[in-house]
Amino acid sequence: MTEVLRILIAPLVWLASFSAIYGLHGLLCQNALAAVAGFPAERAVLMAAYGVAIALQIILLWILHHPRFAAPSGLLRFVSRASGWTGLIASVWTLFPVVALPTCF
Amino acid sequence: MNALERHRKLTEIWASDKGFKGWFSTVNHNDLGRMFLVTAFFFFIVGGLLAMLIRVQLATPHSAFAGPEIYNQIFTMHGTVMMFLFAIPTFEGLAIYLLPKMLGTRDLAFPRLTAYGFWCYAFGGSMLIVAMLFGIAPDGGWFMYPPLTSAIHSPGINADFWLIGITFVEISAIAAAVEITVSVLKYRAPSMSLAKMPIFAWYALITALMILTGFPPLILGSVLLELERAFGLPFFQVDLGGDSLLWQHLFWLFGHPEVYIIFLPAAGVISTVLPVMCRTTLLGYGWIVSAAVALAFLSFGLWVHHMFTTGIPHMGLAFFSAASTLVAVPTGVQIFAWIGTMWKGRPELHLPMLHILGFFFTFVIGGLTGVMVAVVPFDWQAHDTAFITAHLHYVLFGGFVFPIFAGVYYWLPHFTGRKRFFCLGELAFALVFVGFHVTFLAMHWVGLLGQRRRIPTYAPEDGWTAINLISSVGSFILAIGIAMILVDVVLHIVTAHRGRRNPWNATTLEWAMITPAPAYTFASLPRITWRDPLSAEPDLAVSLARGEGYLGTPRHNWRETLAVDIASGKPEMHVLYPANTRLPILMSAVTGLFFLSLLMKFYWTVPLAMGGVAFLAWKWVWGLGLRQDQAVQSVGHGLSLPNAATVARSPGWWGTAFLLTANATFFGALLFGFAFLWTIAPGWPPPAWFTPSIFELGVGISGAALAPLAIRHATRVNESGGTPFPTVILALCGIVALGFACASLMWRAPTPNEHAYGATMLVLGGYGTFHTAISGLMGGFLTAQIRSGYTSANRRAAFPIVGLWVKYTSATGVIILLAAHLPGLIP
Repeated sequence: MTEVLRILIAPLVWLASFSAIYGLHGLLCQNALAAVAGFPAERAVLMAAYGVAIALQIILLWILHHPRFAAPSGLLRFVSRASGWTGLIASVWTLFPVVALPTCF
Repeated sequence: MNALERHRKLTEIWASDKGFKGWFSTVNHNDLGRMFLVTAFFFFIVGGLLAMLIRVQLATPHSAFAGPEIYNQIFTMHGTVMMFLFAIPTFEGLAIYLLPKMLGTRDLAFPRLTAYGFWCYAFGGSMLIVAMLFGIAPDGGWFMYPPLTSAIHSPGINADFWLIGITFVEISAIAAAVEITVSVLKYRAPSMSLAKMPIFAWYALITALMILTGFPPLILGSVLLELERAFGLPFFQVDLGGDSLLWQHLFWLFGHPEVYIIFLPAAGVISTVLPVMCRTTLLGYGWIVSAAVALAFLSFGLWVHHMFTTGIPHMGLAFFSAASTLVAVPTGVQIFAWIGTMWKGRPELHLPMLHILGFFFTFVIGGLTGVMVAVVPFDWQAHDTAFITAHLHYVLFGGFVFPIFAGVYYWLPHFTGRKRFFCLGELAFALVFVGFHVTFLAMHWVGLLGQRRRIPTYAPEDGWTAINLISSVGSFILAIGIAMILVDVVLHIVTAHRGRRNPWNATTLEWAMITPAPAYTFASLPRITWRDPLSAEPDLAVSLARGEGYLGTPRHNWRETLAVDIASGKPEMHVLYPANTRLPILMSAVTGLFFLSLLMKFYWTVPLAMGGVAFLAWKWVWGLGLRQDQAVQSVGHGLSLPNAATVARSPGWWGTAFLLTANATFFGALLFGFAFLWTIAPGWPPPAWFTPSIFELGVGISGAALAPLAIRHATRVNESGGTPFPTVILALCGIVALGFACASLMWRAPTPNEHAYGATMLVLGGYGTFHTAISGLMGGFLTAQIRSGYTSANRRAAFPIVGLWVKYTSATGVIILLAAHLPGLIP
């Protein structure tokens, strides 16, 4: 089962962080926060969450490339690393609106 | 024993009961796969006829062919039949028939579950067809949005048929998904590692996992909407703390992955058939597996792109717009891998290849219009127009029907053992291809001109008359083409000559047997060292028929096979299958009685049906018990393996684990619904919160802590040869305590039909109580097994399975109790 988990982990983490940030966005827009030093707090929170999501994916990708944790079989190693890259690219791309768009418009 | 004697003996052991009666008692994947496919194609014909009625209605302006009430039923049933009764069951049928043969085993993991799933599908589908014949079919569109489908706006029984009938059918999908997942992971030929699996098995595995996590939100939505309609629990009524958008979220959490659940098996067919048609091997096997995994995950992040016009903030829209464009990348990877496969091979234009080319042309256009509607401003213009209807038909017909026709013609010699000699298929393909594009290209056009989907008629001055007529003419050409394919297939089955084995010179394992496939599938099980086994060992079929593989000597009238380690394919255990039985059809009939009772509002028969299901489930599992310890069994080639009843991670444990995965998704969707209503729905906070009770919370959490610890201890005691009976009783006490706390939550919940909060508390409490009842039943079953001598240190498989249920019930129970009591405890 570890082999299957290696393949699934990065996209699963993307799915969790994507849903969580979408939910967080809804929550923040329902309950306005005070600005921090002139910077909208909602945006700061979302950007921090975006950063955490990307950091998690980078850590996972590093783990999947590390000889100690990588799958022993060639194909499964390839697929799990490809899934790792999928998770990272998906996190960067799908959550990019956090930095590019107004938060609650 | 020579090959013929072996064939006769194995046939005697594995054959279904003779004649008509055999249909009702068979548990064999060959029979059930065929039954699934025939039933699915019957529903395909029904759905196709409904499509023709739609096109007749829209062919001319001010059409008097059908009034709006009937027309609403026609288009709702067309979508419902095609999505739920044709597409998914076709995948199930194909996977059930093919997987054991491709994986080198004799049957799927749980043959009786396959049969149960089939009968749930047949009965549930029949309910919907009967409703249509009586003119009371669902009429709220195939995605059944409230408030249109609420009791206020749709007071008849029509919507109930959809909610209850589809939930019944989805039992079949969940059963098949558990079956397929465990079979692919555990029931393979010795040494067939994950890396050596046929590509179709990867696709089937990914699709099955998607069904397990994609279908539960819809089941939840259907349960909540039916509760609202039947008992007035206002989950979707804005004035009472509900929100109709919750339905859209739950529906599309299922609905978008559903598109890929339909596409991925078809992609599996293409990845299998295309290399054979091109006389080469699949290019980029690893890339294709990675792309399929990526596609599966990304598809779960797209659901809001069906809700772009619901007023969601721009950033929310942008998240899903970005995810929708990204999904084109793994799809493109697969398309390019297939193009590369054609490039490196020598394509031969056999009939399956024509359908594959039809797929390429159609699906790529559907994918491109998909990227168009992923762009929010365009979607705002095209939303709910015929453009969207045309787009989804390009994706689903292109991405599923063409590949399935390719698969039908490719595996037809396998199903029948005959050689095609009529050439109707080629002409039929031409008609289907031309008819489809005439119909749906025109529909894109009329959609861009502003024709809304689902309208019963239109005026001549709208300017859509000529385009609609062209579309309708195209649809009849398409229908004639499909009818010719069906006639071609029937003629082939009835009249064609016997053909040779493996007419395509394919290299996958399903061709390493006589055709049509014998009931036992393989006379002996192969050892797989290559991904294309027939290319490495062209005489494999002969060697297996001679009994030179594993389990080559039939014994004790056992239906036996092997289960393997997930990653390496190393043989792990010896498995005995159950014999033919009518238990699955009986249990699905009683399950049907439960749903029918809800539908007809005969509530006094509901507990009767639930008791009947519990009794039959008990009988079902009791029959698997062994009263004597099992020695290791020799399986050939000097290898001896333990019986599945004597290991901790038995097939039943794996099946339970994946069933609980689906269950956890259902529970997660319920919590999401609660959080959504709390934070987004207007009309919150509720007039009164649930009154917390430290006593009930304490009793519930103590019970939840006690039960898993006790069952764990009982497992250890049993393994060390002790008496586990007292600790199992202790676990039952913990379950009863948790059940008390959950039942009390139901009892004391704020009036559930006055606010969505009270309704949610009732459902949460009901979920916990229901699961404690199941765990209690399983604990009781285990106690009865211990008392009757069905368990020992050797026969230990039942303990971890009950343990899984108890742990799950405890964990969800604690979450439910905290969600109910904490808001009132926090000042």
